[in-house]
Amino acid sequence: MSAAAVEVEALERRYGDVRALDGISFSAAPGEVFGLLGPNGAGKSTTIRILTGRTRPSAGSAHVLGHPVPAELERVRSEINLVPETPTVYLRATAKENLDLFCKLYGLPAARGDAALERVGLAKAAKRKVKTFSTGMRQRLLLARALLNDPRVLFLDEPTRGLDPQSARDLHALVAERAAAGTTIFLTTHDMTEADSLCDRVAFLADGRIAALDTPRALKLRLGGAPEVDVVLDDESDLRLALDRDADAARLNELVAAGRVRTVHSREATLADVFIALAGRSLDDGVNGHAEEGER
Amino acid sequence: MNMRRVSAILTKDLREALRDGRILILLLLPIGMAIFYNATTPDEDELPKTTVVVVDPGRIGVADGLREAASRSVEVEMLSAPDAAAARRIVDADDAAFAVVAPSPSGGDAPVRAEVLLPRNASPTAQSVVALVPDAVAAAADRPPATDVRVQRLAVAASDRKPADLLEQRTILIVVCIVMLLSFVALLVVPMQTAEELGTGTFGALRLAATGPEILAAKALSGMLYAVVGTVLTVVITGAAPDDPVRFYGAALGLAVSLVGFGLLLGLLSGNANQINTYGGFLILPIVGLAVAVLIVESGVLSVVMDVLPFTQGTRLLFDSVSAERPFDTGALAWLVLAGWSALGFAVLARAATRREA
Repeated sequence: MSAAAVEVEALERRYGDVRALDGISFSAAPGEVFGLLGPNGAGKSTTIRILTGRTRPSAGSAHVLGHPVPAELERVRSEINLVPETPTVYLRATAKENLDLFCKLYGLPAARGDAALERVGLAKAAKRKVKTFSTGMRQRLLLARALLNDPRVLFLDEPTRGLDPQSARDLHALVAERAAAGTTIFLTTHDMTEADSLCDRVAFLADGRIAALDTPRALKLRLGGAPEVDVVLDDESDLRLALDRDADAARLNELVAAGRVRTVHSREATLADVFIALAGRSLDDGVNGHAEEGER
Repeated sequence: MNMRRVSAILTKDLREALRDGRILILLLLPIGMAIFYNATTPDEDELPKTTVVVVDPGRIGVADGLREAASRSVEVEMLSAPDAAAARRIVDADDAAFAVVAPSPSGGDAPVRAEVLLPRNASPTAQSVVALVPDAVAAAADRPPATDVRVQRLAVAASDRKPADLLEQRTILIVVCIVMLLSFVALLVVPMQTAEELGTGTFGALRLAATGPEILAAKALSGMLYAVVGTVLTVVITGAAPDDPVRFYGAALGLAVSLVGFGLLLGLLSGNANQINTYGGFLILPIVGLAVAVLIVESGVLSVVMDVLPFTQGTRLLFDSVSAERPFDTGALAWLVLAGWSALGFAVLARAATRREA
């Protein structure tokens, strides 16, 4: 038995000749918010599909709450849940009926569904058909469904895709609340800002391999490049200066001494910068080869 | 297999079906057609018919006596023949169900000796009329206590029987509608519901809370439920009371089970409900066509092929259970064919589902 909530060792998943996952290893501790980052097709959803027991690995092992999956999925089924990438809800049913089904599947009282709808702000829409819901409402319904069984490990697969800023903020608050309550959050996203603000640790996935794994701060410091400042001068021209270069540092001192500087903003590295440093391309460029399956 | 989960998914599937116009049409169309045919097909005589050839050289009135004796239960058409050999030829040609040969009565108290020439595979209707022959002959000869009727069993080829002749047109149409309903359920409704779940991703959501076999079992059960409820509704509304209800509903369920495994497989492989709805008709047409063909094709290669297909054997079982005449004389082979295809369908489905997860 492992103490980690999620533990993956030399995990591989091949689709024909394409290696969607090429021997990745990582672990997430109980109560940790762990982010798996990477462009579309990097293998994030495949990892979640394996961890939730819906796809078999080609090689390697995956453990959730100490049990190998999918071999012992039945033993952890009631302790995990997922907010999938796409709104996998029954559109002809009402929000309440959607949750009632999963309450029955988990052997829970229907009142849990009411409470979950209340928690995500959908109580007033409980009896509305889901096909009348906006994208944000459907995403909140997915979150309500994922909270029904009070999971010890919650997988979030691109949870804020297509959400308006307010709905995304609400979701972030809920994730933080669950993590504080001890739930392990396993998050995949290619929104680096989201990952930076939510995750205790992040792993960068590129071409099916983990390119880096650490806290966001450590990664930015280690791989984010030299510190820079953006300077606006009195003639409204812009200037970017690298503080680790002597010439740029001297130039900044001269400008300050001459009173020509109107504003100075430090430019800190982002996780996107980290990814570019690691993979040599932008997160939005995608990855050649395997295109990940949708939520099916 | 957790039955609580199976039941939850089954209930959800039934509710979803009632809200899906495409599914409702597929379920109600065959029932509506059966109601339409039932209302528009002209009434046929309620009494079963049979034809008897009589040899009555003494003109003692055997034909009239037999017709009178059977009048309450069977409409008997009488043919006459000059001698036993001629009567035998008529029976062999299947122009009469059996023959009664009643020579001229001898004098005194000697019993009237009559002979019945009865094919071995005579229908129950014919056999019921044979039972009336002794009394009819005795009454005609006016010698009630002293009649000696001997029944001679004749060997007649089974191919001489015409199944379609033994069934009412209305019954045929209603059974064909039921076969259509069962095919729609197994090969359109069940795969469409499965494919839609795959296409929208709800199948994956269910897989988090239930196992694949539980989900597929619920879908198979929903198909069987549609089949049974649809068949019962069709029978009740049309008033087409089967002669052997147990055999009838067993055949309907057996036919549905033999096809549902393949239907689920279709849904799993397609993953596109609209595609199945659009092109599924190409699958249904030959099935319903072959179901009708069992009434026409009696020999040849096609007949042999139909012997091993589930929908043709299922259709024969249904026809045999609606009529006391048992037009196809189906036996264990038909049930074995249904069981074999059921096992094959679910085995292939299980393999496909395992490969899909792997």
